[in-house]
This record gives sequence, structure tokens and C-alpha cells, in this order.
Amino acid sequence: MTPFLKYLLGRLIAIPITLLIITMVLYGIIMLAPPEERAALYLPPRLPSRLTASQIAFELEQIAEEHGMNDPYLVQYGNWLREWLSGYWGWSPILRSDVRPVLLARTAVTLELTFYSLLVFIPLGLISGVVAGWRPFSATDSLFRFAAFVGTSIPPFILGLFLLSIFYVGLRWFPPGRTSITGLTFRTSTFQAYTGFLTVDGVLNGRFDVTFNAFRHLVLPVFTLSLFHWATLGRINRALTIEEKDKDYVLLARSRGLRHRSIVWRHTFRNTISPALTSTALSAASIITGVYVIEVIFGLKGLSELIAQGIVGAPDAPLTLAFSVYSVLLVIPIMVALDIIKAIVDPRDRLATEEVDY
Amino acid sequence: MLDWRKFFKRRQNWLALFLVGSFFFVALAAPWLAPPDDPANPPPFKGVGRTFDRLPQAPNEESPLGTVGQLANLARFGFTPGQDRFEQWDVWYTLVWGTRSALKFGLIVTLTSATLGILVGIIAGYAGGVINQSLMLVTDAFLTFPVIAAVWLFQRVLYTRLYNPFVLPEELVYWEQFLLRLDIDPIMLAMIVFSWMPYARLVNGMVIQQKHADYITAAHAMGAHSWRIIWRHLLPNAISPAVVFGARDVGSSVILATAFIFIGFAGSVTWGVMLVAARDYVIGLSGNPFAYWWTFIPISLGLILFGVGWNLLGDGLNDLLNPRTR
Repeated sequence: MTPFLKYLLGRLIAIPITLLIITMVLYGIIMLAPPEERAALYLPPRLPSRLTASQIAFELEQIAEEHGMNDPYLVQYGNWLREWLSGYWGWSPILRSDVRPVLLARTAVTLELTFYSLLVFIPLGLISGVVAGWRPFSATDSLFRFAAFVGTSIPPFILGLFLLSIFYVGLRWFPPGRTSITGLTFRTSTFQAYTGFLTVDGVLNGRFDVTFNAFRHLVLPVFTLSLFHWATLGRINRALTIEEKDKDYVLLARSRGLRHRSIVWRHTFRNTISPALTSTALSAASIITGVYVIEVIFGLKGLSELIAQGIVGAPDAPLTLAFSVYSVLLVIPIMVALDIIKAIVDPRDRLATEEVDY
Repeated sequence: MLDWRKFFKRRQNWLALFLVGSFFFVALAAPWLAPPDDPANPPPFKGVGRTFDRLPQAPNEESPLGTVGQLANLARFGFTPGQDRFEQWDVWYTLVWGTRSALKFGLIVTLTSATLGILVGIIAGYAGGVINQSLMLVTDAFLTFPVIAAVWLFQRVLYTRLYNPFVLPEELVYWEQFLLRLDIDPIMLAMIVFSWMPYARLVNGMVIQQKHADYITAAHAMGAHSWRIIWRHLLPNAISPAVVFGARDVGSSVILATAFIFIGFAGSVTWGVMLVAARDYVIGLSGNPFAYWWTFIPISLGLILFGVGWNLLGDGLNDLLNPRTR
């Protein structure tokens, strides 16, 4: 087996273990709520007023018994896990529907925003870090540091509102929401949702106006989301580049007469990509957090719509639990993808599979 | 030793100390800067100018930074309303008293999660082997979880009874009593439970690197107890990256908490609640975003400077404590 495959396999095996640990923690938190509280959600919405308190209590006990809410933790967790794996993610009393279709229907919007943001800030962050780091304290570097400072200082939600007020209310360039073209959300014969990404579906359906419109709606959220992460990644890569450019192998490459451009992009850059992307992979969860916040601000009806709907009211354990686990399922692919990119770019990553613990 | 002279030579470190220091000053001097009506029990918001007009009022003599119409559903953010519904909120008052809630929030979250993370990191690193691997596996598992989902989970599952006005305090379970007594809101709880991992990883890396250094071996040879080695030798050496991270975390945790409050979660950082009240005026009623500038500019600026101050302090401490890495 090649080292690369071995590395990949090691990463993939870690995923179920990660999921197991995090779901056990989450289920433990859910179990803290008393059984009667959780059972109360399964009562019919309008109870006959002639029911006495003791009758309701009896009813709650029945429901709790029926759903196994009084069982020990591991039994309940096991049942939940079995149901989850078999494709039943729970029934939400608040939404009055199964949770899985609700989550799946909103995934594409969230994924589209996340995807384009990653596509924007990772290359830009890496490149601007290299450019700034090779000439520290030059004019370009000062400009970068200033921009990065601004980018990390302004809270994204405030920036988002400002951008909306300037570019939507003032200039009317970039509206909020997902699309201004009506009728796309309904199943029609004229517009098929192949991927759920409006930008891609527009091309596939030959409706380039839809694609253009969707991009127009994505400009502000993608910018708002990317700015902070671009600044962070750029700073890290700048620091790494500064450290790397004084190393002996750079001197050697220079004495061999290699061109500057080749030293920068083929030697030092490849060495800084891996540690820089590690930091991005570690903050993948906070990227998803940012995506949800930005979705609410810009009125994109993605997964965050569920949060915005269900903040008040009774404890909807199935919905919150399914949402949490689903969010983890969004984070893990980002981490794994970045790990794979790292392993492709930097052979040291895939060779050092054994733990470095003396 | 620490190069304090170099630290004080840099102007940006002075700016950092000035910003952080002034937030502490404002927090301490709040009763004099913005005197509350009831000094014994200062409310988070001050109602002024009883009026049926919901539009914000420009800065005037009574309220130096103007007013914002108050939120109707204050209970949703975990506050008890208990004041005149027709009064507007004084911006200056919340700006001043909000520094208290922001500092309290940032410091509690950072100190608790840092302590938790450092403990996990050191114990795992010192024990090594299977214990290290399994604890780091748990750390990595926690790292995959977005905080926002935790906030929602906590608020929806753990806090429904706490925020239900019909549930009497005596009916609460032991951990509900605990949360109520310590005044922990769901955002705070979620951020404590889900932000210790970076500290654990940082400290763990340092400990593994230091564990086989000569001075530790020497301490072992002299018969030092494990806890003594951890406390006297490993902790001081492993803690410096965590200190830097922690300084930045105070600012960023408050900013994140404000963002969560802004999109509708319950939280105690009053700046966030004030921004919710000002939300509509940022977009601008007449297409001019600055028509009601006093409703959101002062608070946003306070928030930005809060983040900048702690960030710069972190940068300065980084140069001071880890001189090798820039």
C-alpha cells in the first residue's frame, strides 16, 4: 500500500470514531432534560380542557415509557444511533414533520455559500501571505497587514449589515436573499434542480440569467464570510513564509541559480501550505458557525433557518440533536478535504503517519 | 528572561494596554460615568423619555448618545423586562454598563475554557501513550462541533425551564439551580464547553516537546513527584502559547457572543441586545444608513475596539513570550 493510501485510510477511520464521541456527548446533554419535559412535546397540540393535572402527568408517563425515555443512557443512545443509521433522524414536534427531509432540503443553500467562501479565501489567503511574507515591512506587506487587521477587527455581522445598507439599500447592486427570480423554488418542468446550487443549476438548465442572478446574491455574503478567514489564513502564511525564506535550502536554491519565482512558488510555498491549511482545518467548525450567522443576516434560507425559527418555545430535542449532528457532518468533509490537499502538496504529511510520541 | 523593555518600546503594545485598560476603567467607573436610577441594583438598560414615538431620539442633554426604542420581547434574551414599555433605552448607559457584561463574559469564558484545556493538554501529554491518544481523539471530536449548534442545543434543551416564567425557582433541578445561581447564559455555557480544545492542543504539543528535556529528567532523578514536575516545570513552560491565545480569545468570544445575540439567542452581553434593538436603523429607514447613527455606531465601535484591544495585547504578549515565532 502506498503511503498516501495508508494516510487516507487512517483519516477515514478516524471519522466514525469522531462521530461516535461527539454524538455520545450531545446525547448526554439531551438526556439532562427531564423525561416529562421531553415527553410533553408529543402531546397533541390542543388538549381537552377537562383533563386534570394528574391525567396529563399519567399521559406524559405513558409517552415517556413508550419512547423509552426512562431507559438508562446507553440504551437510549444505542436506540438513537440505530435509528439514525437506518435513516430515521427523528420527528420534530415543533415543525410537525420528520427532521431529515427538512434538513436535506436546506443543505444546498448552506453548501453553496460555504463552497464559494472556501474557494475565495483559501487561495487568496495563501497567496497574499506569500506575497506579504517575502518582503516583510515593504509597502505591499504594510498594505496587507492593514487589510488583515481591518478584516480581523470588524465583527462579520456588523460588516454584513453595513454592506447591505450600502450596496443594497443605497446602490441597489447586490440584494439579499438567494435569488430575485421568482418561481425557481417550485418544482416546474422548465427549471430542474439537479444539484441544488442555483449557480450550477442555472448553467445546466441553460438559464444563464439565473446563474448570474445567484452570483449577484452571493457576492456580499461570500465577501463578508471570507474577509475574516482570509485575513487569518494570510497572517499565518505570512509568518510561516518569513520563517521559511531564511532557511538553508532557500540559500542553496539561490546559489544553484534558480529563479526567484521558482524559489517562492515551488519551494517555500509548498512548505508553508501544509501548516497554514492545518490551521484552517482546525477552524472548520467556526467557518460553519460563521456560515449560519451570515445566512441569517443576508436572509439566505439555508440550515440556519431552523435556528431562527426555533429559538423560543419548548425543548425540541430531536430537531436540535439532528441539526447538531448534521452540522458535524458538514464540518468533517471540509477537514478531510483539507487534509487530503495537504497530503497531496506536502509529502511529509503522508509519510509521517506514525504518532510522534516518544 | 522576558524582554519587557522591548515590549514597552513598541507603540502598538501601548495602544493595546490603553484600550484594554480603558475598558476596565469604564467598567469600574460605570456608576459615575452613567449613574443608574437605582444604584443598589443597576438594571442593564436605562429607560428615558417616556414617549409613544418609537423612533430613536438624537443625542440630547439627558442622553448624550441618544436613545433607541426598546425591545418588546426582552424576556427572549434572558432578561426580565420590569420597566416601562413606553420608555426608550439610553445608548450611553448601555455602552458604559455593557463593558461590565462584556468583560465579565470574555474573562469567564476564556479563563474557564483555558483552565479546562490546559488541564486536559498537560495530563494527556504527561501521561502519554494510550491516554494521550484517546484524550486527543476526544479533543479532535469536540473540534468538529460548531459552537452555534451548541448554543441552540443548550438553549432549546437545557434552558427552556429556566426561561419559563411559570416555572418556580424551587421546581428546578440541581443543575438548573446551579446555572441560575452562577448566572450562566446558554451562549456562555456553549462557549465554555466547546472552546477549550485549542488550549488543549497547544499545551499538549508543548508538553510532549518538553517532556524529555534534560531538566525534566533531572527533576525525575532528584525524586520529584509527578504533580510537582507538572506544576513547577511543565506548566510554566507550556502555558505561554495558551496565554497568547487566551488574550485574543477574550475579544473574539465577546464578538461571537454578540453575533449570536444579534441573530436571536439569549445572552448576557448587553451590547448585543442593544444592537438587536438598533438592527432596523442600520439598514436605514430613508436609505441613508447614518440617519440614526447613534443607535448602532457607538456600540459597534465599542465592540470593535474591544476586539482590537485584546487582539493587540495578544500580539504583544506573543512577541514577549514566544520571541522565536513572529
